[in-house]
Amino acid sequence: MKNVEMKNVRRHSRSKQSFAVRYLFLFILFPFLITTIGCEKDKLYEVNEETLLPPNANKTKLKSDQQYIAILYANLFQTALSSDNLFEASECVQSIGDKDLVHEVLISNYMNKPSVVLPTNEDMRADVDAFITETYNRFLVRNPTEAERQFFKNYIITHPNVRPELVYFSFALSNEYQYY
Amino acid sequence: MKRRGFIKKAATATAGAFVVPYILPSGRLFAATGAQLAQHVVMVMFAGGVRQQESVEQTYLSQSQGIPIEGNIMYNMLDGTAPTQKIVYGTDGNLAGDTPIPQILGSTIQQQGTLFREVRSSHAGHYGGMNALLQGNTLFSQGLRQKPINPTIFEYTRRHLGAPASKVWFVGNGIGNSTPLMNYSNHPDYGAAYGANFLAPNVTFGSQGIEHLSDAKIYHPEEELDPIYQMKYFLDNNFENIGGTIETIYNTEEEKQSIKLFMREMYNLGGNIAKPPVSDNGDLSTVGYAVEVMKWFKPTLTVVNLGAVDACHSDYTSYLKALHRADHAVGHIWNQIQQIPEMAGNTIMMVTPECGRNLTPNPIKDENDWLAFDHSDANTQRVFTQMVGPNVPANLVRGGIGNQVGETADNCPTIAEILGFKADVMGTGLISSTAQSLFDRI
Repeated sequence: MKNVEMKNVRRHSRSKQSFAVRYLFLFILFPFLITTIGCEKDKLYEVNEETLLPPNANKTKLKSDQQYIAILYANLFQTALSSDNLFEASECVQSIGDKDLVHEVLISNYMNKPSVVLPTNEDMRADVDAFITETYNRFLVRNPTEAERQFFKNYIITHPNVRPELVYFSFALSNEYQYY
Repeated sequence: MKRRGFIKKAATATAGAFVVPYILPSGRLFAATGAQLAQHVVMVMFAGGVRQQESVEQTYLSQSQGIPIEGNIMYNMLDGTAPTQKIVYGTDGNLAGDTPIPQILGSTIQQQGTLFREVRSSHAGHYGGMNALLQGNTLFSQGLRQKPINPTIFEYTRRHLGAPASKVWFVGNGIGNSTPLMNYSNHPDYGAAYGANFLAPNVTFGSQGIEHLSDAKIYHPEEELDPIYQMKYFLDNNFENIGGTIETIYNTEEEKQSIKLFMREMYNLGGNIAKPPVSDNGDLSTVGYAVEVMKWFKPTLTVVNLGAVDACHSDYTSYLKALHRADHAVGHIWNQIQQIPEMAGNTIMMVTPECGRNLTPNPIKDENDWLAFDHSDANTQRVFTQMVGPNVPANLVRGGIGNQVGETADNCPTIAEILGFKADVMGTGLISSTAQSLFDRI
């Protein structure tokens, strides 16, 4: 009998303890819940400021006459120009005041050489996309943007007289090609 | 209504008559402010450092080598009889240089125009001297291989006269040192956009040019060049250039085409150009191509730079030969100008050395045991200027020994006066305070 009483006393005492713990837990949790749920503000997500530039913007250095000629020759002939020829060609460039003009003359001179490496018109028109990508890679050392690709695709398709030589010529004359 | 309409039309026409002459093809809004004395100017930057003693003073060997032989070896430009002994400056006959080159002109430049016998050269060096001639200023801080600091007469001509690029030419004797840089300045208000077409013909049409430029294709303007330019312009519009500007002198596409055709013609001629009767040095070849430039483009302003007499640093005999040939070159240029219909009777030619040479020699002796001369002492500041053409007084001499009249920086405002925009140039504040038009010194 005494044992039964003792068990009841313990059970009662335990339930009292668990009730106290429960209230203690609620007591601690309540302010936490108030601060985290009741005072929740709208979340503001931000991104770091970044200057957006076109893909060709990292070209900031103007090529020297010799750099321009050496790179042009390599692009057109897929081989290097000898140092003697490079020296002579750069003297020719210096001998004419209008650099645009002398570049045109130099390019058209190279275009007249039988060893210039050009795709055929048929190859270009068979896969215009590939030709545009290859031309950008060859001359401007980058891929075209979608807008650039679209322009050249439309231009080549709508101008049947445009051949790879003329496209290459325009790239070699472009301002972007003057820089590296 | 009819009366009102008439008044309106008359007012519009009158306003148009006033306004149209001021809207020039270049887009500038101000026409030349003065009357033109001639429509074309040719300036010869003479020879590369010339002593007064062997030029206007005609002392030949007497004041250089102590040999008492005098005479005039520049008898196209100056009055005076040639030396009779120790002739070394001509072409080779029995002896080297013993045959003087025959006179080209019936009457000398001195007789036809005005000679300023003693002009002050503001600089003792070639490029400082050239800068003074071209800029009308004397900035001594300007270094070698640098663009001019102040605007050149090329830029003044293009900006204030509205002359297109193909009407303004600088024909150089080579591409050494500063020569190819003199066609425009770094000045922010002028610069490349107003620059001259530079040409060093002995390179462009020499062995290098034949190898690298002569085989150029001439593309069809509409069927080939148009697409090339259209695609180029698209690429240029897409290129955000943050690395600085590409300098260009803005020849139009038509002007570029004309220059390319000119080059093709020169290569086709294979050297059979309008060279002087004797053309055995680089200056004479340069002058031949300069004449071809004049024949093709009829430029408003042509500046020709000669430089062979600079051999005087180490070879006095070569100097005499080069000086004799420079005179031959000037005679030839003036002769040829009279054969170009658009320029004959409508061109003023000016001739000035960019600097003089020393009074005393250096120790270097040549094949004749004659001493050479550099350019660094006070004698270097003594040069001359000649002008010839319409509105230039004939047979007039101004100044003399001990009485300097004019300076090399005068040539720039003089050209501006000839072409009718002197007030514009003087008003820039970029001209030397002592420089003035030589017409104001007559």
